[in-house]
Amino acid sequence: MTEKGAYPVVAENLQRRFKDVEAVRGIDLQISRGEIFGFLGPNGAGKSTTVRMLTTLLLPSGGRASVAGYDVVKEADAVRRSIGVALQDAAIDPLMTGRELIRLQAVLHGIPRSQADGKGVELLDRVGLTAAGDRRVGTYSGGMRRRLDLALALIHTPEVLFLDEPTTGLDPNSRQAIWEEVRNLNSEGTTVFLTTQYMEEADRLAGRIAIIDNGSIVAEGTPAQLKAAIGEPTLQISLPEGTDEVAAEALLMKYGDPVDTPPGSVAVRLKGGASQVATVIRGLDEANIQVESLELHNPTLDDVFHKATGRRLEGAEDATDAGPSIQVS
Amino acid sequence: MTAIVLEHYAALSRRSIMNIVRQPIAIIPSLTFPLLFLALNSSALARAIELPGFPPVDSFLQFMISSTIIQGALFGSIAAGSDMAKDIEGGFFDRLIATPVSRSSILVGRLAGSFVLGFVQAFIFFGVASLFGLNVAGGLLGMVGVALIGATIAAGVGAISVAIALRTGSTEAVQGSFPLIFVFLFLSSAFFPRSLMHGWFKSVATLNPLSHMIEAARHQVIYGWDTSQWLTGISIAGAILVGGVVASSFALRARLAEKV
Repeated sequence: MTEKGAYPVVAENLQRRFKDVEAVRGIDLQISRGEIFGFLGPNGAGKSTTVRMLTTLLLPSGGRASVAGYDVVKEADAVRRSIGVALQDAAIDPLMTGRELIRLQAVLHGIPRSQADGKGVELLDRVGLTAAGDRRVGTYSGGMRRRLDLALALIHTPEVLFLDEPTTGLDPNSRQAIWEEVRNLNSEGTTVFLTTQYMEEADRLAGRIAIIDNGSIVAEGTPAQLKAAIGEPTLQISLPEGTDEVAAEALLMKYGDPVDTPPGSVAVRLKGGASQVATVIRGLDEANIQVESLELHNPTLDDVFHKATGRRLEGAEDATDAGPSIQVS
Repeated sequence: MTAIVLEHYAALSRRSIMNIVRQPIAIIPSLTFPLLFLALNSSALARAIELPGFPPVDSFLQFMISSTIIQGALFGSIAAGSDMAKDIEGGFFDRLIATPVSRSSILVGRLAGSFVLGFVQAFIFFGVASLFGLNVAGGLLGMVGVALIGATIAAGVGAISVAIALRTGSTEAVQGSFPLIFVFLFLSSAFFPRSLMHGWFKSVATLNPLSHMIEAARHQVIYGWDTSQWLTGISIAGAILVGGVVASSFALRARLAEKV
């Protein structure tokens, strides 16, 4: 298959320098048609710079990239016709109404008025802004702006949708609404390039993830692959009061290396992975050790990031808030 | 020029006019300050028209109204630059250039806004002044002619302020250029006839193209319609517009080259 057919977004050794700062240090990307690709990294890692190059807003200092089969430098206009872009700071004219902005966006993309009006109604409905469509954007909440931003990016049914931190600063409900819409769009065949600093977002939405730090990609794969590369899940057992913790720990250590836990519980990294849980439970039962509760934590993307960079991601708590995962991937 | 480019021109012009209409607070200074100057000077200098050598006017108001219109146009045109700077600061500019928008429409839209504002303001000033007994010798044609000069210089200075916005991307920088306009205006024959000036001030005012433009507009009000005078006025405004468009085109190119 040709590059255009198979990979709507390709970057080869893509670089960008700002004076002495190397913002992006030669990254390679190959994003398949119809996937949601998550570009995860902390603030200042080079996410937005990469997106700006891919969306023709910034010239690369080196390397090359193509989007929808067109070179981002030599065929910038063709790229612009093929992409939808929702940039980080939902930069929307506060003096215009949602409907007016959609109409303007349609004109800029050369969509005939007859089609644009119908499409505008459909899009406003899709992002739940029908009632607010004739209000000025200045009166919108943060979540409404992002939803309008998404609608604007969709007016010309783009082949590739770039979402630069679409939910940063949003409340959980608004974030859920955006996620749902992104999933819907993707199920209709739109390829989505999503940058985020939230692991949970990357984890829940993206089929494949690249972690960028300091301008370089430090890890890439499906969320499950990345986590599997970290290794074993952690099994944590809470014991009823009065239970012999030492005995419990001694037993558990047969199945893996111990992990520090608060008093009243013991934990190990399960060497054999999640499939060992049944064996451990049997062992505990045979040894007559009572168990109050049992939790299996899969490695998180934060662990992946930590392993790759030695640091923790901002908002790492958000992801662990999701609670212990007993899902085995 | 393709139909799509014309549609881009129309859509972005509409947007910049809407910008002005929807934040009336932003144009209130460009309406009130020139009117205040008009009121003050017409009253304080009422008897100056009796000086030998003063143009044959029936009131200082009649002498001053053209200056008021040009002053309003100059003040109002700053809006084009500060709205452009706001677009850059807020990111709307990026949103625009991430679409296949014709690049020139980004400028045309802004200048159309200034032009329309300059034209409409001129008639507001004529309207207010006529309540106080203004007589325009050139009649409706004269008023339209003066308004067109005002609108053209508004677009010209608007283009210069857009160029500053594109170079700096900062609203403060655009607003900082505002006093400069004042200086040009004060060093012209806007507030007093050149026939009564002398010394270095007269030389400076004579060198200042704004003097000749204002005098051309004033001629329509005091003496009646005069095509050759009008052509002088509109040519000066047009030359400033051409200069502004060249400057802002270069500035747009520089900004896009840095980004795109």
